[in-house]
Amino acid sequence: MLVVLFETDCPTCQMTIPYLNKLARSVPVIGISQDDQASTERFKEQLAVKFPVQLDPDFSLSRSFDVAFVPTLCLIDRDGRLLQSHFGFDKAALNAIAVRMGCGPVADEFDGQPASKPGCMSRHLEPKTDGDSPVSAMRSGRGSPASIVEVSDEDDLVEYCFRAFGDALPVVPPTTERVDKMLSGTTLERMEVIAHIPPCYGEATVEKIAANAVMAGCVPEMMRILVPLVRAVCDERFNVHGAQATTHFAAPLIIINGPVRHELGFACRQNVFSNVARANSTLGRALQLILLNLGGARPEGIDMSTLGNPGKFSYCIAEHEEENPWEPLHVERGFQLRQSALTLFAGEAPHGVSEHNARGPEQVLKSICYALATVWTHRSCLSSEAVVILCPEHARTIHRAGWTKQNVRDFLFENTGVPLRAYENAADAEGSQRTSNYQEILIDGDRCYRKFASPEAIKLVVTGGTAGKFSAVIGSWAAGPRGSEMVTYPVP
Amino acid sequence: MPTKLVNPMNETPARVAAPPVRMRELKGTTLGLLDISKPGGSFFLDRLEKLLKERFQIQNVVRASKPTYTKPAPENVIEQLRGVDAVIEALAD
Repeated sequence: MLVVLFETDCPTCQMTIPYLNKLARSVPVIGISQDDQASTERFKEQLAVKFPVQLDPDFSLSRSFDVAFVPTLCLIDRDGRLLQSHFGFDKAALNAIAVRMGCGPVADEFDGQPASKPGCMSRHLEPKTDGDSPVSAMRSGRGSPASIVEVSDEDDLVEYCFRAFGDALPVVPPTTERVDKMLSGTTLERMEVIAHIPPCYGEATVEKIAANAVMAGCVPEMMRILVPLVRAVCDERFNVHGAQATTHFAAPLIIINGPVRHELGFACRQNVFSNVARANSTLGRALQLILLNLGGARPEGIDMSTLGNPGKFSYCIAEHEEENPWEPLHVERGFQLRQSALTLFAGEAPHGVSEHNARGPEQVLKSICYALATVWTHRSCLSSEAVVILCPEHARTIHRAGWTKQNVRDFLFENTGVPLRAYENAADAEGSQRTSNYQEILIDGDRCYRKFASPEAIKLVVTGGTAGKFSAVIGSWAAGPRGSEMVTYPVP
Repeated sequence: MPTKLVNPMNETPARVAAPPVRMRELKGTTLGLLDISKPGGSFFLDRLEKLLKERFQIQNVVRASKPTYTKPAPENVIEQLRGVDAVIEALAD
């Protein structure tokens, strides 16, 4: 028997249910909900739960299973002994449990969901709070309605919004009519809480997201992306809490893939990083306004970035898949070509790499290696990641020689290093203290330390105009589980 | 007629906690020193610990470190510091 402990407002639990429904067709599955009856009934109805569910009002069951996170799956034999348990969402673990229970695999690698996703803290371990706290609001899954602000005719409406909302740019006034129109772009309920935005954990209801989308100039159809975007930016792996408060340059870069690029008018040709399309500019700006207004990391306050990043006005690109000779980013990250997806990377501003004369892949990529070697700071190795933006002309030059995307990544990995001489007389300098962990390699006969921990630390995206041989490198903030990890979410 | 706007700002009620009573003296107390795991934190906190013990007769110091400076302290780190009279959280690059 498989017992699954879940919370009704946990996105990872919600993602897991369809797979458990499949299992429940042939083997016994029992759910234990950590929420009240009303939320549980709504959850069962919304997700068409196909197995019996028991409530756990005093968390005694949760404690007896000793769960720390939800969802937790516990495989139990006839005598009640625990055979196997797993927490979070993981396709490989789900399939292993299914096979052990005598079923076929239930999670297809390319079904649109990521391979794995961490869950939420088990309800009984959450901090105890009273009344209308963020945590109790999270439990209900429904948030509070936004207040209505009345601005008199004597006030200049644009000036009022400039002063009261947003950042250092004017915004479109979020009138009740405009917000209602924006909400027509989603079937979700107005009060549904999509996430609580760090670092102040403001409640991002669908209504609040819509109000900020109006201010950014989005069209109502953009709600289709904004909802998963808000979920993605609050994914624990992305760690927006840290990225929003750091003294570093990081800003969330949005990368759009799939048919939604054309459906909503995202630009992926010349000027892809700048002011070329309403879709790119307004989606990036809406995310920034949401982070600022609901998350509370204001540039004059909690956001302590020493120099900031122009991407904090808007930082959104689409991949030029038609000019990409290899599989696009979202396919590499587990989605199908015909699906749409968004990816987030906590990145610096782009660092340009010009190479107009190279005829072969090695010379083009060597130029990029030198830019990659300076990510974070040149002596610092193994702790950073980078997005390499290949322009279409460079991608074509490389592909023409028969190189695969993996060849490109491997070449960049093998040829990006920091010469050992850079560490001479620099014992106190950043990056010099950890050289015992670094790996020495030879690059063109020079003794170097390898820059990146693995080829996967280098993310490849093809985008931009078809004329011009300008690629770019975007350095990461603190990368990996100790910092921020790239996340990709499906766009419906 | 006034224009009606939907408030786009955070209206989630903040959890309010009263600040603890200010300590009157340090002598005989147990202090927690929390290193957020930036590279120079341990140098700074080592020095601070020495000064606190020498000059203020601190009875005991509990040292704890966050696994990464990029995220809030996890429960097990907070647990290590439970019971001390005060915590000094510090960093140094």
